[in-house]
Amino acid sequence: MCARNSIYTNPKPCKHLADYKLRHGFNTYDSIRNCLKTTPNGRTRVAKHTTKIPRCSFCDRYQGRLYFCLMCSSLWCPSHILLHTQSEKGHEVAIDMDRSELYCCLCCDQVYDPDFDKVVVCNQVKDLPGGSKSKTNSFEASGERSSKRKRLDSGIGLDLKKSELLVSMRDRRAKSCYPLGLRGLNNLGSTCFMNSVLQALLHAPPLRNYFLNDRHNSVQCRKRSGEKLCLLCDIDAISSAMFCGDRTPYTPAHFLYSWWQHSSNLASYEEQDAHEFFISVLDGIHEKESKIRNSGKDDGDCQCIAHRAFSGLLRSDVTCISCGFTSTTYDPCVDISLNMDTSNLSSSNANKPIKPDEKTSVSTLSGCLNLFTRAERLGSDQKLHCQNCQELRDSSKQLSIRRLPLVLCLHIKRVEHSLVRKISRKINQYMQFPFSLDMTPYLSSSIVRSKFGNRIFTFEYDNSNSSAAYEIFAVIAHSGMLESGHYVTYLRLKNQWYKCDDAWISEVDEGIVRASQCYMLFYVQKLLYNKANEDSSFVRISPRRDPFESTAGCS
Amino acid sequence: MSRPPPPPPTTNKDQQHQNPSLQEINIKLIQSGEKERLKELLRERLLECGWIDEMKALCRAFTRKKGRNNVTVDDLVHVISPKGRASVPNSVKAELLQRIRAFLASTAD
Repeated sequence: MCARNSIYTNPKPCKHLADYKLRHGFNTYDSIRNCLKTTPNGRTRVAKHTTKIPRCSFCDRYQGRLYFCLMCSSLWCPSHILLHTQSEKGHEVAIDMDRSELYCCLCCDQVYDPDFDKVVVCNQVKDLPGGSKSKTNSFEASGERSSKRKRLDSGIGLDLKKSELLVSMRDRRAKSCYPLGLRGLNNLGSTCFMNSVLQALLHAPPLRNYFLNDRHNSVQCRKRSGEKLCLLCDIDAISSAMFCGDRTPYTPAHFLYSWWQHSSNLASYEEQDAHEFFISVLDGIHEKESKIRNSGKDDGDCQCIAHRAFSGLLRSDVTCISCGFTSTTYDPCVDISLNMDTSNLSSSNANKPIKPDEKTSVSTLSGCLNLFTRAERLGSDQKLHCQNCQELRDSSKQLSIRRLPLVLCLHIKRVEHSLVRKISRKINQYMQFPFSLDMTPYLSSSIVRSKFGNRIFTFEYDNSNSSAAYEIFAVIAHSGMLESGHYVTYLRLKNQWYKCDDAWISEVDEGIVRASQCYMLFYVQKLLYNKANEDSSFVRISPRRDPFESTAGCS
Repeated sequence: MSRPPPPPPTTNKDQQHQNPSLQEINIKLIQSGEKERLKELLRERLLECGWIDEMKALCRAFTRKKGRNNVTVDDLVHVISPKGRASVPNSVKAELLQRIRAFLASTAD
């Protein structure tokens, strides 16, 4: 379902453009440089005639597209530019004046040349305020995080290879043919929110491997910290229980108790929000780790398993509408909360454009992601201080993803707050989501690149080594109302979907999963997903135990 | 009974003043830079209401049908333009008209 062709392979120049370049090189591109004008929102146009109105040399038209011949600077409308090319030899390449894009008159089509785009983009960057400063914001040093990221990516993979104690064998006690690690969790009283998140976490490849490789040793942990309470120890215990081969439903009572101690504000017998629980668990894991390591590292560099698996980096660009100055900030995140793309579908919009394509009437994940990364004009009550203008100005804000995490957790905000009636309502609208997800269009490199229009050029931090292709492995679905609903988790193991409804595990068809009302979607990088599916018949053993003896937590 | 005399013919100057031609309006808009501003406003409104996304979807559908290498920009423009024009929301049209009227009123002298 993901794009088969990368969007950013450079199209080859047509024969005419190639000939033109052989003959003239960059001469005409350079002469155009002086005529390029940039507007604050990043559009570049050719503005040679500042006093006269540009008109077609044949029919005097000034409306619509006009093309500017690179050879003789004459102007033509699309209907008559062919006349010019036919009468003058060598005048085959022109520029669309409004968009600064190349046009081949003989092919009658747009053509692309990286050298030309380089000229345009350099000009744009120069023209925007903070010329050299904004350049460093957009084109950052590639060495920034690449070394750290390489370590991150290889760290998890090496664990599997290094561990010599891993024995690949089928557990003989398993009665069913379910894959190892699938086990129901008993509901302790409105704890389906907890069970659903635990199922997703325990089957996230990085965490699953972490616990199976005994990376968190409970004995050593207690010795080191001296505390009895450790969320990681408890999750480790659950992980052992899940993978020991026993299929009877497990009761995560100890974990619940630990979690109550950690998040006392959420400790109650009421139904909690699964996403809130997810965040608090990650927080609990992180807290413990940072206490052990005594490090005050921020979330971006933290090496605790929670951050190693889920931490990504968001980029926020705030642009001043008046002058175009952009200030960029980076914030780490462990998940992305998406608003649903229902704005086009609400019945309150009386002037809806006519829908020619049925697909636009369904809410989709890509629609939500587009909404998330769309440039949003901030209201006039939210004016921000522009460093260039030195006063409060209307601005627009755009989010993008600077660095993708290993495990991508997408939270779909299904709560609608009505300020008028002062109530919260759940949005039950169905949302379509893919099993294979390509996050390339939402990366900072793509978003920032598109700000320059239809250009071909490479960013210094275009990371082709880290993948933007994801595969889904867990879906937490919610049914019912806001206060009283039920969570279930759908897990995808070896391309078969399983429904984890508290203590009941069952095989389901993928159609059921697609039709469910998704609340949290868990995607993992494709490489990790493929690796995890290759061989998942591991049995967890600790160094001192006989591999054939039952492991702790199974009784 | 004599009929009241016909009203005097208006001079060319008056006529131009009362009913500026489309061309003159356009020239005024371009020269003052207002046309650029209006275009920006239009782009923003069309983006907000999802019109641009719809056009993109139409272009994609057309390109998929014809095959990636058999489509030129001109083809797309010819196919999409009528649909695009027809689907601009009335609120956007009204807002732009209002802006143009306000501009003309302010530069009437």
